[in-house]
Amino acid sequence: MQSESMYHVLTKMIEGDQQAFHTLYDATYKDVYRTVSFLVDHPQDREDIMNEIYMQMWTSLPNYDPNRPFHFWLHGLVIRQVQRFRVKSWRRFRIFERIRVFSREEYHWDQPTLRTDRTDPEISRAMHKLTDKQRTVIILRFYHDYTLEEIVTLLDIPLGTVKSRYHAGLQSLRKQLGNLPLERMEKNNAY
Amino acid sequence: MPIESQISEYLHQEAETMECPPAVSKRIEQSYSQYVQRQRSKKTMKKRLIGGIVAAVIMIPTAAFAAPPLIEMITRTPMTAQQVKMDAVGQAALEKLYRSYPETKSFEIIDASQIGGDPANTSQGKAIQTSIVLQEKGAHGKKVRLDLNGITGEIEQVNQENWEPQEKPVISLTDQEIKSKVDDLINKLYGSSSKYECNMEPMQNPDQKTFILNYTEKGSTTPFYQAFVQGNTISISLIGGGPAPSVEGFFMTNGKPDYTADAFLNDEELFSLLHMSPADLKQELAKGASVVEIAASKKISKQQVMDVIASTQAKKQIQADPHGGATDDDRTLELLKRILEPKVLKVIEHKTETPW
Repeated sequence: MQSESMYHVLTKMIEGDQQAFHTLYDATYKDVYRTVSFLVDHPQDREDIMNEIYMQMWTSLPNYDPNRPFHFWLHGLVIRQVQRFRVKSWRRFRIFERIRVFSREEYHWDQPTLRTDRTDPEISRAMHKLTDKQRTVIILRFYHDYTLEEIVTLLDIPLGTVKSRYHAGLQSLRKQLGNLPLERMEKNNAY
Repeated sequence: MPIESQISEYLHQEAETMECPPAVSKRIEQSYSQYVQRQRSKKTMKKRLIGGIVAAVIMIPTAAFAAPPLIEMITRTPMTAQQVKMDAVGQAALEKLYRSYPETKSFEIIDASQIGGDPANTSQGKAIQTSIVLQEKGAHGKKVRLDLNGITGEIEQVNQENWEPQEKPVISLTDQEIKSKVDDLINKLYGSSSKYECNMEPMQNPDQKTFILNYTEKGSTTPFYQAFVQGNTISISLIGGGPAPSVEGFFMTNGKPDYTADAFLNDEELFSLLHMSPADLKQELAKGASVVEIAASKKISKQQVMDVIASTQAKKQIQADPHGGATDDDRTLELLKRILEPKVLKVIEHKTETPW
């Protein structure tokens, strides 16, 4: 759907039009859910974040410039809500479960076997070894095909930081996917 | 295959396997309904109450100008926080609030207004109603709105929003917990809730869970306080205080007597205008005609009916002023009548068993 018609639907939705809500929701929820799922592992957390994103969507309409692509704006909302959630859960960890912070890594290990049946388990595992920050950049780059400059705008961080997260992420993926010829080359060069 | 395309391919394949659980969609849809309700209630609380079947707003027997949104149809004069603190009624209410809920001392007065009078010049006559909205600093802070009778200083309506955490709004608590929250609010801001019998029932509102709590004096059928609990909001109106009306339940809602309009329709002037006894009027209304329609069949205009009721209600309001005199002039009477008109219109155009 074009940004302009999206904007029209969004405006109607703000006025309380159920039909408009369904149109917009149907047009976006898969993309939003998948993006969130890539970035957040726990199903309950995903659900909470999804809800937050949509609530944010209808309350922050005044910030949306219809001349800009709708999906880009939407992804901005997604990223901000995921980040907000991380800050919140980080606080939670710090206060209540300081010791268990490290167990999070193990949690990541369990996940891929649970939910991946068709796709490459090795890449899946490698993706889960990335830090949250690296993973965000990798998802935006390779799932949504954003340029590094666009990622700069979405994440509101300097280009240099995006680049370093991007390269560090790729490097880590290469390292994990040990059987790749590229990975060996990289290793030879790097070490 | 270069690693970049391998990742991209993996992500797109993986994405295909991810299905958004229906529970998520359902929850978001509910959030949306709640949002719409909130928006509407912000614009005209009317809608919200129509959604909630009973319109407590138009229950204004003696002293309760309970309805901020309807009153907003008439021009309100905005007040500064400073003016609120200078205003005797505002000041007393704030002190009461601060005493009852000490945390509100740090709240900001985000909105205040009054009807009638001039906040900058108190010699211009008293305000009929003063409304104050306070909010805790921060985006989703606790919020409280007080609507005060400008003449008696009584709190006519209080709205308490966001006092429970957002994840667990007040409506999600157990019935007992909800009741004790409402009790607490009545005890602290109005006086004691203990001498009233409380009847709590869920309202048949398909969009959003809502409870109505009627606090009734022993032996009386008309509630003294009426509270609505919806989302994260508790809203309490003072209704009672007047003598029992001669006929009760002119209208029905869901087969139960609806006291909403009784204070308006128990009007001797109205009965003599229509040449009808209260019992006859009740009988005619039960057939599904509105007061306006009944009047029209007797060649009496809507305006005449409205004038009679509005004038009775306005006089009652002025009599309720314990200091008397000062406000008993034509100008105040006219102003009160104008304020009441939209409410009167609602009553006289209403038909039994239809939502308000």
